[in-house]
Amino acid sequence: MALVPVLALIAGQFLPAYPLRILDMILLYAILGLGLNIIVGYAGLLDLGYVAFYAIGAYSWALLASGQFDIHLPFALVLLIGASLAGLAGILLGIPVLRLRGDYLAIVTLGFGEIIRVLMNNLDGVTNGPQGIARIDEAHLFGWTLSTPEDFLYLLVAMLVVVFLFVWRIQESALGTALSAVREDQDAARGCGIDTTRVKLVAFALSAFIGGGCGVVFAAMQRFVSPESFTFWESLIIVLVIVIGGLGNPFGALLGATLLILIPELLRAYADYRLLLYGMALVIIILARPRGIISRAFGPSWLMRRLGGGKC
Amino acid sequence: MGALILQQTINALTVGSIYALIALGYTMVYGVLRLINFAHSELFTAGAFIGLALAGALGIAGHPTGGLLVGLITFVLVGLAGVSVEIVAYRPLRGTSRLAPMLSALGMAVVIQNAVMLIGGRRPMIYPSFLPSGVIDVFGAVVSYKQITIFLVAVVLMIGLELFVNRTNLGVRIRAVAENAETASLVGINPNMAISLIFFIGPGLGAVAGILYSSFYGVATFTMGFVIGMKAFTAAILGGIGSIPGAVLGGFLLGAIETFGTAWMPVLTGGVIGTEYRDIFAFSVLVLILLFRPAGLLGEHVSEETRVYKSDF
Amino acid sequence: MRIKSILYAAVAVAALTGAARADILIGTAGPTTNAEALFGTTWQNGMELAVRQANAAGGVHGQKLVLVRDDDGGDPKQGTLIAQKHCDEAGMLAVVANFNSGVTIPSSDVYNRCGMPQVTNASNPKVTKAGYKNLFRPIANDLSQGAAPADYALAKLGAKKAAVVHDKQAFGQGVAEVFRENFTKGGGTITSFSGIAQTDVDFSALLSSIRAENPDVVYFGGVMPAVGLFVKQARELGIKATFFAADSAFTPDFIAGAGPASEGTVVSFQAPPYDSSPALQKFATDYKAAFGEDPGPYSAYGYVEATIIIEAMKKAPTPLTRAGIVTEIAKSDFDGLVGHVAFTPAGELQKPFLFLYAVKGGKFALVQ
Repeated sequence: MALVPVLALIAGQFLPAYPLRILDMILLYAILGLGLNIIVGYAGLLDLGYVAFYAIGAYSWALLASGQFDIHLPFALVLLIGASLAGLAGILLGIPVLRLRGDYLAIVTLGFGEIIRVLMNNLDGVTNGPQGIARIDEAHLFGWTLSTPEDFLYLLVAMLVVVFLFVWRIQESALGTALSAVREDQDAARGCGIDTTRVKLVAFALSAFIGGGCGVVFAAMQRFVSPESFTFWESLIIVLVIVIGGLGNPFGALLGATLLILIPELLRAYADYRLLLYGMALVIIILARPRGIISRAFGPSWLMRRLGGGKC
Repeated sequence: MGALILQQTINALTVGSIYALIALGYTMVYGVLRLINFAHSELFTAGAFIGLALAGALGIAGHPTGGLLVGLITFVLVGLAGVSVEIVAYRPLRGTSRLAPMLSALGMAVVIQNAVMLIGGRRPMIYPSFLPSGVIDVFGAVVSYKQITIFLVAVVLMIGLELFVNRTNLGVRIRAVAENAETASLVGINPNMAISLIFFIGPGLGAVAGILYSSFYGVATFTMGFVIGMKAFTAAILGGIGSIPGAVLGGFLLGAIETFGTAWMPVLTGGVIGTEYRDIFAFSVLVLILLFRPAGLLGEHVSEETRVYKSDF
Repeated sequence: MRIKSILYAAVAVAALTGAARADILIGTAGPTTNAEALFGTTWQNGMELAVRQANAAGGVHGQKLVLVRDDDGGDPKQGTLIAQKHCDEAGMLAVVANFNSGVTIPSSDVYNRCGMPQVTNASNPKVTKAGYKNLFRPIANDLSQGAAPADYALAKLGAKKAAVVHDKQAFGQGVAEVFRENFTKGGGTITSFSGIAQTDVDFSALLSSIRAENPDVVYFGGVMPAVGLFVKQARELGIKATFFAADSAFTPDFIAGAGPASEGTVVSFQAPPYDSSPALQKFATDYKAAFGEDPGPYSAYGYVEATIIIEAMKKAPTPLTRAGIVTEIAKSDFDGLVGHVAFTPAGELQKPFLFLYAVKGGKFALVQ
């Protein structure tokens, strides 16, 4: 993991813009995957509406840094606002729905994702509806203008490292233990004195917070947001990222994002057959590795032990 | 006003019949495998396209009696496709994790949709109506023979399914496997056979719904399955997933919510909530119902606590 | 290790796409999968035809033209990725991109940064608002698309009341709003302004309400197949008003889909009918010969958009550069397939062409 920033610096210097942009997308989806992993991988709750939090973040930047209401807040502040709003939405959604179990939770989150998208499409006065918000400000971070794919590469790498370490720490913390107890057997966990609802709520909020942060970065990269970027399909892609990579494993999110973004780009030459082949590739990968490519056990802690570092 | 209510009720019944037919496929699969079969909606589309191709090949486009034959052949073909999808993409994943088959289903949905696009074409297909034409006036409301036919076909199929599941030997096996696959295999029921049967009937019904739907609206597009599928799935959950009467109830209920919601929400809210919110009426009702009845309207509150939940993923 | 392999893969992508080719590349990106696949594909086929004809006539400056077709799926995210891919390709000198306004707005930022001549088919007025000198729009934007039908309804049909429906998409809502504005300004009354979901196929609930309002005209801002279904269902419910639809209804599919119900519907379109001039007749024949089917609603635009680029390349000084082509496109002044092509400094057509048709006897007949 320590190699990532170094490699990113090298990549930023030497790669042309197109692969850099692909790399940006991979990193963005990897971070989204890390966020969703908290709720799906660690807590074992299926969230099919993760895109809602992503959208809340994206619209935060679009509304707070554009000519829409002529508000122009700094990027770092909006990053915090967008992520916090998403986290808050996570808590508000979580309070009523977290007592639902299994697939019913999945469906309610799916519904929530659609409701958010339809609201963004219909609240013309605020979000410009289907026309979207264009000409969003360029992001500035401590005097550094973020405009090229290379700029975003550095930002995203920094975010990835932070989120990665954060998620890893969660996994090793008391919260992580509580989460895995909830995942394995909720009733037993409750029996051991774990406040399962609160634990789930915290996981939901953290996960939403990260999703919101990613949304802000996405809007800053595109400088345009419209509801069509936040469809149910996006939620599914993020679920695919972590399931294909390996649930509950931070490395898995990185690998999953790489595959899911890279495969369709590599298939561009096949034009009409591209999506057909993409679908087939997904099925084949899942059939070959139903529990994900990297198993849960081979996470950062395992790596640290192998390297003789022990817990940090 | 009375005529308007009647008109909307008839519209709701038509849409609801189609939702219900598709919802049956979701609910049956879910009842046995606890799998959200994302490929189901694409088989619905495939059904419409196959029906169209058959009608062309047999030279019977647009005849109600020909429609019966086309419907029957399409049912079998799409049913077999459903069985193959299960064998190829879901069966090898049984007993691994619950997310794996769901995402494999998603992959299959992409594959089927693009296969339909490549074979059937991107152009919206003008669909011949297999349904009798003409309208009758009922107390000021316009009812077309098409709507009546759709409703009748759906009801006959649903009653047939209910009888099949409850009164026949094969049906009992399906229910046994749905109840508990392990116990069923102890008494000599082959779960694979029952599961294949479900994957034959569900998509078959979906395919018939595809033909009815396209006949009614006069058009078939390769992307039409996704949204209809989502709604039908919502209907299945609404009624209580895993329950056949629940899917039927959910389908009609969803049809009613959408139709009346679309017609009256703009009036009731003074135009603040317009027809464009149609797609979330259903979801909002769904969320509310699940909050008060977490297993859906007719869903049984089984030992889901432990069965569904334990180490799902 | 894993990161390295990503990088290797990425480098491989770059190497593949960046390979030196002697041909002149023209890029295009539009939706050839998903809901708008038909529009995107037939639109790109129109360009393909222009490129093939140019090659048959000896190419440009003795070099062969190659059209690089990409699928953006109507997704803004993919649009910017493809734009970057086009930019990085040294041999790519111009693009026709994109089909959707929502994709063109973000992609134009990327194209602008590499000075790529970009000809777009996106009709939303906002598209050209950034003032990019390399962006051109050779079609009427939504402002004229919604205005002309409103004037026609008021002046020619003497309409007083109009119901407006749109599909909550950037295009549909855009034209519907312009119609509403112009209709109200001209003294008419809007009885209702409603949005539907783009994927809806059942409008019975909404139509029942519209029937009660008894409007003289109903304007529908949306695309096929929704517009065909809408008109058909409206007539089945006995709505007598005159229907107005925007350009995407200008296709035989609309008449076939709506059947006799389509009779009398007024459709606005940016091109004269395919049988109205020998050039268009020839285009339709050539298209059918090349692709085995009738041209789609946007095929002629695709052809014109590619032609604008090819004509500019012919005039630009060699060796061809992106900047040189931008300069020449800005100076475009010729009669294209559908009308005269000349741009304002903002990259809009000087005289946007817009025609109104009405369905008569199962065919589109020019009314204005």
